[in-house]
Amino acid sequence: MSGIQKSFGKLRALARVDFTVEQGSIHALVGENGAGKTTLMRILYGAQSPDSGSIRVFGDPHCFRNPAEAIQAGIGMVTQHYSIILELDCLQNLALGTEVAWRFNRQALESKASELAKRMGFEFDWSQSAQDLTPASAQKLEVLKLLWRGSRIMILDEPTAMLSPADSEALFTSLKTLTAEGSTVILVTHRLPEVLAHCDQVSVLRSGEMVLESAVAATNMEDLADAIVGRAFTPTTTPNSRAQGDVMLSLRDVSVRGYRGDLAARGVNLELHAGEILGIAGVDGNGQRELVQAILGITPLAVGDILWHGRSLYGCGGQERIRLGFRSIPEDRLADGAIDSWSLEENAALGLQRLTPMASAARIDQPGRRQAAQASAKRLSTRMESLSQPFESLSGGNQQRLIVGRALALNPNLILAFQPSRGLDLEATARLYEEIRLECARGASAIVVGFDLDELLQFADRLAVMSFGALHLPEDGYCRDRATLGRLMVASQ
Amino acid sequence: MNWRLPLLIFACTALIAGAILLTGTSSLEAVSTLVKGSLGSPSAIAGTLRETTPLLILGIAVFLALQAGLFNIGVEGQYLVGALGCAAIALKIPGVLGLILGCITGAVAGALWAIPPGWIKAYRGGHEVITTIMLNSIAGFLTTALVAGPFKDPAQQSPTTAILQGSSRLPWLYNSPELQVSTGILLGLLLLAAFAYWLRNYVAGYELRATGKNPRAARLAGIDDKRVILRAMVTSGAIAGFAGAVQVLGYEGRFYADFSPGYGFTSLGVGLLAGSNPLAIAGSALFFGILGKGSSSLQLLGVPKGISSLVLGCSIAVAAAIRYRRLADREES
Repeated sequence: MSGIQKSFGKLRALARVDFTVEQGSIHALVGENGAGKTTLMRILYGAQSPDSGSIRVFGDPHCFRNPAEAIQAGIGMVTQHYSIILELDCLQNLALGTEVAWRFNRQALESKASELAKRMGFEFDWSQSAQDLTPASAQKLEVLKLLWRGSRIMILDEPTAMLSPADSEALFTSLKTLTAEGSTVILVTHRLPEVLAHCDQVSVLRSGEMVLESAVAATNMEDLADAIVGRAFTPTTTPNSRAQGDVMLSLRDVSVRGYRGDLAARGVNLELHAGEILGIAGVDGNGQRELVQAILGITPLAVGDILWHGRSLYGCGGQERIRLGFRSIPEDRLADGAIDSWSLEENAALGLQRLTPMASAARIDQPGRRQAAQASAKRLSTRMESLSQPFESLSGGNQQRLIVGRALALNPNLILAFQPSRGLDLEATARLYEEIRLECARGASAIVVGFDLDELLQFADRLAVMSFGALHLPEDGYCRDRATLGRLMVASQ
Repeated sequence: MNWRLPLLIFACTALIAGAILLTGTSSLEAVSTLVKGSLGSPSAIAGTLRETTPLLILGIAVFLALQAGLFNIGVEGQYLVGALGCAAIALKIPGVLGLILGCITGAVAGALWAIPPGWIKAYRGGHEVITTIMLNSIAGFLTTALVAGPFKDPAQQSPTTAILQGSSRLPWLYNSPELQVSTGILLGLLLLAAFAYWLRNYVAGYELRATGKNPRAARLAGIDDKRVILRAMVTSGAIAGFAGAVQVLGYEGRFYADFSPGYGFTSLGVGLLAGSNPLAIAGSALFFGILGKGSSSLQLLGVPKGISSLVLGCSIAVAAAIRYRRLADREES
């Protein structure tokens, strides 16, 4: 790709960018939120057309008008938001759009699919409904979909954002198998350790310009971080608050049923003190989701009790808990946290719609809502043109900034954050925890569920591990010990 | 991509023109007859407004349900039970009190008729389209049986109630021998204005729209989505029942078998065509009102009334095409 230029209105997304990828390599494309990574990839994939510039694939000039043409040329992309149809099962999703016969020959397809999955080291129950897929499995299915369509150049946008460390490792192992066979992988990511450990080449974009292109072997963490943020950036360890406030939230022997009806969280006991940030580590799908939903009052408890300042929350609905100051940063911002066709202002009120500056009695307080929305957007410097633009017109990172700002608005008392840094760059992630810390200093407390142990170790005061539905609290003195936590993450009961 | 829409519009126009030509009339003549028949004279205008009134109120009912993500096909049945309930009360109680109680009874009857589908949808997951279609048939047969039995005016041959006295009718907004306009249309417009204001300025309206757009996000936002769905269905039914009451009190003056010429179904088009803007309901109701009145005049030319259904269907198809094309474009870019 050479001389690629693209602007959205007044915003210049890409300025004469050149980007070259060698066949058979894993090429990382890194940069901050809104640096233009996704735009560049969407242009390559034909989902967007450049204002100027040209694309050559295997030496031949191409001009893709739509993704179908890009797929024909062997280019496939897995976006941050999966394109899996929930109503179909895994096999139907895999084969969707590539059926060669009128009849859906299940057996033949299934054996072919299993063979492909095996080559990649994945395992699938093909008749499982796509609705029941964990984010990790969904990601794997997306990769398989590309292979199924014969892609030789694969673009993966933040593929490991939702994966556990073990799943990420497995994904990279498979990607290496692929490149050894001559395929090419372009990896869009924020995670520098991943780049250093697994990629061959790296390109850094900063506000629409290509600022660094290098072999991974010839660079290091500091150089890359500098190139990304444009100034020296050293990861700092936040000093952890020693002060132990009163117990705000206590969970007593809490069990919650998952969607299958089995107990997804079992016998959880926890005391959360005012002013602390508790990190819950663990592999995805070990009951974190159900536990968070139970605390928010969305899912009923099967057994046990949740107390807020010593008072049972039994019979207290989601709306009442929001009034008590419960806030959430949902795991999947588009599915759970926003209404994409609505304006930023309307989205900034979602969940807070009945609280005082947003509404007075039964009526919406329009000026109050605008002000509160403005404050939420400013909290993490959401890049936007106006509050009335639709939510879906923001880039993924900026959407997340607004969602985080909303969760911190109007004096939260308990912040429940599920993978809050999803889609955020290093600097925004640091800002995110700084802002949570500010609210905690005011007297709130926070629970952060994450799959990135390093991030939790860096920002949380103490860590717990969720594994097979049980919450393990390491003994005093070991709650930040990587080895202890690691053992708990794989422990079974 | 961009040639498809003009082609669709062209194809629709050609289809309609072709159909009219087949009946042996020139299409220009047909159009001018349609316009003259609906807007050409004071009495034509009065007829158009009369046709527009139930479509407007029922359109609001459909639109409200759509905003909550529900397709209330049951407005037809809710309209019928509302109309019969109102007629029964207004016949017993004359005067202003009867008018008010009649409207309330109509709304309550419509609301009751919408409770089963609303409840089944919210708490049992049964699709509202199925349940409301079933209840439409039940409402049709039930009201016919009642008006042939207990509510039948003994002085009449056909199954119909007695005719309401003048004092039990809605007053005329404008009354000359040429042009008679009922306050019914005014009631419809007032209801529309109040509804549009509520939807935009009240938290309940916000929560209703949130539930319709994304029930998962709504639940996480502390909204009881099941209750919102039930309430939306019941309110939609109440408005449809109110439309039946207005029809009885403002125009028909009685209830009889086959009371509705399918207003409930036409109003689905009214609600859909309005898109996401509630005030557009007034425009789309008028559009369908003009078609409805004008096509009666067309019949005199030998053009079957079905032609207007054809126009109706085509305009809904084109409206849907425009709407979903925008959606598709957005997803691609």
